[in-house]
Amino acid sequence: MGAWLARRSLAALAIVLAVVTFTFLLIHLAPGSPFLPPPGRPVDPDALLRTRHTFGLDRPLPVQYVRYLAALLTGDFGPSYSRHETAAAALAGAIPNTLLLAGAALVIDFSLGLALGCWQAARARRAGDVIAGSVTLFIASLPTFWLALVLLLVFGERLRWFPVGGLSDPVTYAALPWIGKLGDRAWHLALPALTLGLVGAAGTARYQRAALLEVLGRDFVRTARAKGLRERRVLLVHALRNALLPFITLAGLAFPFLLTGAVLVETVFAWPGMGKLAADAIFSRDYPLVTASAVIGSAMVVTGSLLADVLYAVADPRTRVPAP
Amino acid sequence: MLGDMRRIVWTAAAALLALASACRPRGGCSGDYCGTLVVALTGEPDVLLPPITEQSESQAVLDQIFLKVADLDTTLNTFGDSAFTPLIARSWEWADPKTLVFHIDPRARWQDGTPVTATDVAFSYDAYVDPKVNSPYAGSLRQISAVTARDSLTAVFRFRQHYPEMFYDAVGALRVLPAHILRGVPREQWATAAFGHQPVGDGPYRFVEWKPGDHIELAADSTFFLGRPHIRRLIFRFTSNQQVAVSQTIAGDADMISFLGPPDVVARARAAPQLALYPYRGSVHTDLVFNFVDPADTTRPHPLFAERDVRRALAMSVDRARLLQSVFGNLARVPPGPMTPMWWIWDTTLAQTKYDTTGARWLLERQGWRDSDGDGIRDKNGVKLSFHLLVPTTSGLRRQYARLLQDQFRKVGAEVQIDEVEPNVLDTRARTGQFDAVLASWNTDPSPSSGIAQTWTREGFGRSNWGRYYNADFERFLAQAESSKTRPQAARAWRGAMQVLNSDAAGIWLYAPDNIAAVHRRVAGVVIRPDAWWALIRLWRIPGDRLIARDRLER
Repeated sequence: MGAWLARRSLAALAIVLAVVTFTFLLIHLAPGSPFLPPPGRPVDPDALLRTRHTFGLDRPLPVQYVRYLAALLTGDFGPSYSRHETAAAALAGAIPNTLLLAGAALVIDFSLGLALGCWQAARARRAGDVIAGSVTLFIASLPTFWLALVLLLVFGERLRWFPVGGLSDPVTYAALPWIGKLGDRAWHLALPALTLGLVGAAGTARYQRAALLEVLGRDFVRTARAKGLRERRVLLVHALRNALLPFITLAGLAFPFLLTGAVLVETVFAWPGMGKLAADAIFSRDYPLVTASAVIGSAMVVTGSLLADVLYAVADPRTRVPAP
Repeated sequence: MLGDMRRIVWTAAAALLALASACRPRGGCSGDYCGTLVVALTGEPDVLLPPITEQSESQAVLDQIFLKVADLDTTLNTFGDSAFTPLIARSWEWADPKTLVFHIDPRARWQDGTPVTATDVAFSYDAYVDPKVNSPYAGSLRQISAVTARDSLTAVFRFRQHYPEMFYDAVGALRVLPAHILRGVPREQWATAAFGHQPVGDGPYRFVEWKPGDHIELAADSTFFLGRPHIRRLIFRFTSNQQVAVSQTIAGDADMISFLGPPDVVARARAAPQLALYPYRGSVHTDLVFNFVDPADTTRPHPLFAERDVRRALAMSVDRARLLQSVFGNLARVPPGPMTPMWWIWDTTLAQTKYDTTGARWLLERQGWRDSDGDGIRDKNGVKLSFHLLVPTTSGLRRQYARLLQDQFRKVGAEVQIDEVEPNVLDTRARTGQFDAVLASWNTDPSPSSGIAQTWTREGFGRSNWGRYYNADFERFLAQAESSKTRPQAARAWRGAMQVLNSDAAGIWLYAPDNIAAVHRRVAGVVIRPDAWWALIRLWRIPGDRLIARDRLER
């Protein structure tokens, strides 16, 4: 297990390095330039050249790459061109917000998806299952950006049940006691997390329904029923436990999906997370911040995937690769 | 068992709700100096150090924290010094035609209690023009040769030459900086200095906090020497999306938005009972700019647009008034030249190219552009009357206009292929001449001089004169306008310059939107200066009898 873990960790590091290299090359080779004035304002080419020189952008690309890698090894992500602070400082503020959003969305995704999947499996091919199946298919096919805007307009602007974007209420938050602060954060988190979680839950429900239906046809379930156990117990205790194994893989896959979705959801809901930061950095050609976001994002994804593999190996010893 | 569980969950939820509602903050502020204004911004300031940034979101915040020596009034007359209001300078005088003397108000204080002096003014000028700071405003100060402190309360500006807008150049961009704090910070490091995220100023508001990605809060300085601001807390909320900023304002999560945009959004805001709408002159104009040089080889003339008659024919084929009506309704104007209604040179009596498709076809025929192969597109010597139009992906309005123009050009036998690219790419391609035509939006400052010069003269080659337009007559008129002694003289010269541009059909002037701000009705005394909607916030107020819960709240 130790050697297997070491091999997987090395592979994960190699993936991160590849992501760094590709991102670095792509963003530097993309048309456009950092340090441009706001749209509609004139450019001073001399000032632009001076700034490019200051940040070493007038050097050959391989030199810039080697310098970047050397700095990265010491934990230095470089300066953010657009935010006038270090890329690390910009990310440090944004990562907890993204993790909070992705975490809440994951809870909604799995709890709702699991419950709905079980409910559908219990009444497979009946009217309720067919309707729920159509609804989940519809939700899973919705573009996240569109769903976010609709939820925002309906529940934020029209009904005013939830705030329209932001992390917290900038007027009252500072004066609230801790429980109030917690409530305020949850209130602001609700719509973005729901947007992200709903789309995921629709997919999870369909997956879970299929996994349960497969298990429900097996001998041990038939035996449990023959013993006279109630259907709810058969489903939730005997069948569900065995249908949960593929769920670990799903969890590993859900994280990259949530990070990708977070870019759109954070933009719509003005949620100051990593996705919004990276999107803004791409538009302003903030090379260090784009690359740093890719490093952190890929590290999170490979860690999630590694964790899922480890959990899977622990839960199901058959999947472990035998030592040579 | 399940019933018990349900009871426990519901009881816990009810208890939490009760606790949360009991924890709602209560405020006790009353009277005319309470009030919280939440402003929805469609972007986040990059830094709060005046010489470093020219982002409008940063300016909106900075102008509350830092004062200029003097500032424009709402007439926006940049000619001479009669339309300027004293701020840090109590008064000024001209020692000679090239020497301007400012007398600093002795009551002015930095927010740490240190007096504001002429040394701060001289230090600020020095920083703005220092290549180490690399300020985007250095160019606007190029006619000033020196700024010195004659004594602690007298700052002297010396100019290289006398011209009508010298006062505007002296005070328009320069915000006074605290020399006693910034002198110790190496200038190369100003862009990332801590000061830029926690500034100490001399303006009506003090910096309180900056939550990255979320908001910036300022608090009124009750000792501000020009009068205590009525609105006590000023909060700028950031979104990166105009739609969300509008929704925040309509839903009551924000108290104002400075620009509503297209008619359907204005209608939504008008339907919100708590909002009052404030129209003001726009500072943006959008033009179709022709490239005069060949994108493949910028030393050669453009195969289509080097011909004046082709440009004129295309300009004549566009029904600008109808396009504008269909897109904006009554919320924009057809510009008589590359200008905004904010400029004092706005003149609707200028001779302009009329909409005349028959005339456009005749012009093209006369120049030998005929549809020789019957495909609906004219051609001449094997060259098709077909070109690419560059538009930014982020502007729905310009993308919509591009399609409407494509349709109008097709009717006279010209084919347009629309290239939608992101703004950064558009800017780079336009500056390097890699385009045929581009839909360009210009966000201008109150003076026509700098913008026009950079966009339509040789000085702007490689900068904002994307199409590399050049006409010696135009430049002569412009030089006259910039050196005229009186405003009527300058107006005549500007008129001459614009007639040359129009006669050359250097571009097609499409629209100049009027701005409409939405502000909560409880806010009184709202005056919006067209070039800087935020400039007079310190004079806005929320009367004691209109306060709502969030106005009374103590932080």
